Amino acid sequence: MSTDAGFIELNDINMRFGLPAEALPVVLQGIDLSIAQNEFVSIVGRSGCGKTTLLNIVAGLVEATTGTVTIAGNQVRGPGQGQGVVFQQHALFPWLTAMGNVEFGCRKADISKSEKREVCRQLLDLVGLSHAADKYPRELSGGMQQRVAIARALALDPEILLMDEPFGALDELTRIELQQELLRVWDARKKTVIFVTHSITEALILSDRVILLSPHPGRVFKDYQITLPRPRIRTDPAFNAMYQEIWEGLSA
Amino acid sequence: MSNRISAKDVLLGGIGTLAVLVPWEIAARSGIVDPSIFPSPILAISSAAEKLSATEVLDHMGWSLFRVFSGFLLGALAGITIGIVAGWYRTAGYLLRPMIELLRPIPPLAWIPLAIIWFGLGEPSKFFLIFLGAFFPVVTATYQGVTNVDPILIRAAQTFGLKGIDLLVRIVIPGAAPDLATGIRIGWGLSFGVLVAAELIAADKGLGYMIMHARLLGYVDVIVVGIVLIGILNLLTDGMIAWLIKKGIGRWHEV
Repeated sequence: MSTDAGFIELNDINMRFGLPAEALPVVLQGIDLSIAQNEFVSIVGRSGCGKTTLLNIVAGLVEATTGTVTIAGNQVRGPGQGQGVVFQQHALFPWLTAMGNVEFGCRKADISKSEKREVCRQLLDLVGLSHAADKYPRELSGGMQQRVAIARALALDPEILLMDEPFGALDELTRIELQQELLRVWDARKKTVIFVTHSITEALILSDRVILLSPHPGRVFKDYQITLPRPRIRTDPAFNAMYQEIWEGLSA
Repeated sequence: MSNRISAKDVLLGGIGTLAVLVPWEIAARSGIVDPSIFPSPILAISSAAEKLSATEVLDHMGWSLFRVFSGFLLGALAGITIGIVAGWYRTAGYLLRPMIELLRPIPPLAWIPLAIIWFGLGEPSKFFLIFLGAFFPVVTATYQGVTNVDPILIRAAQTFGLKGIDLLVRIVIPGAAPDLATGIRIGWGLSFGVLVAAELIAADKGLGYMIMHARLLGYVDVIVVGIVLIGILNLLTDGMIAWLIKKGIGRWHEV
């Protein structure tokens, strides 16, 4: 891996569903991205710009029509290559407890059952849910479910965390809480994060970098470095100026 | 949200039941209806007890339960297996589903003539009919359950490196469990219904035989006791299955 290449490299990703002859709309066109290790990158765009598809391609869940994704120099050929994924909602296994879900994520074969349990307990602790270890998903609030989902993804000990509008279905207050929680986890565990959202505020609160996708076809439209100091304050004039700039980009 | 049953609900249930039984008892005793056709509930039990010993009744019950359990068990197992295979493997689904869909709407009782020709009047024909009663509801529900597992759960499992048979065993089958449970309950009810019908036609033991035989002898009281016993037995066993289901999946799934 050359020194100037990113940790995650997307090279000319093109995506269309169906056969070329069917002339279905192109979902993604010519996506080139280079993401550094431990960088927190948000992908923002209108509905239908292909941001979830892009995330699924990096996750190895969907294969791009053409183009490649590499992680630390290795081409992505499927899931389970160090990509932890947090979905929008309802992706916990309902028949497993919070602990069971996290343990599901911990797939190390070389550690004992008690060690595994300890690792998972620490992860539940990290997301503030050690008291709910024995609860089933339906007994947890939406916010708690997403915390479990984050702990489960971390149990894989992934280098990359891919998050697909993970807080989109939560109420405003829970959402703010979980954003702070996520930043704390990111700080504690040092992960490279790709975070899909349609909230500019959320992207600005969280990210080192905000990538704007334009729809039909999905293309990288703008790439903003966010240099505002952390923790970010929503009412800060510099924050608002940045918000305005991205908003104008989005409405262009 | 609460599905606890209050004392008031129980009281209402009691009133509803008595509203049928009490006028019946009065009508039979006062001679408004002919007790030899409509014996009163209390008199039926006492006079049936004179004609049949408890061991005889238990023997009939035992035979009925044995038949329905064994036939149901095999029918349900076959239904679960074929339902999973048809739901999970696309090719198997295309192969199996048309045949299942074709046979499914046929009421199990319509098979009786064929069952007798193929298997005679002995146990195998009853077994076959009960098997059919369990098989179709279970295979349909299992198929539904397997194909309706939320794709996001499968994708989530894939991100942890699961594929193939592991996906099936660890995600799809648990995910299908609630639908499967419904199929099992429906299958049990249908098996039970088929059992009695099969025993009515040809048997020398079992509750169905008992009431049919009583008809020949003109024992209306035995018939009344017999059908009430069939009802109670079905109610109890269905309750047991419901309880087992609730114990198995009730904590994570609203039953």
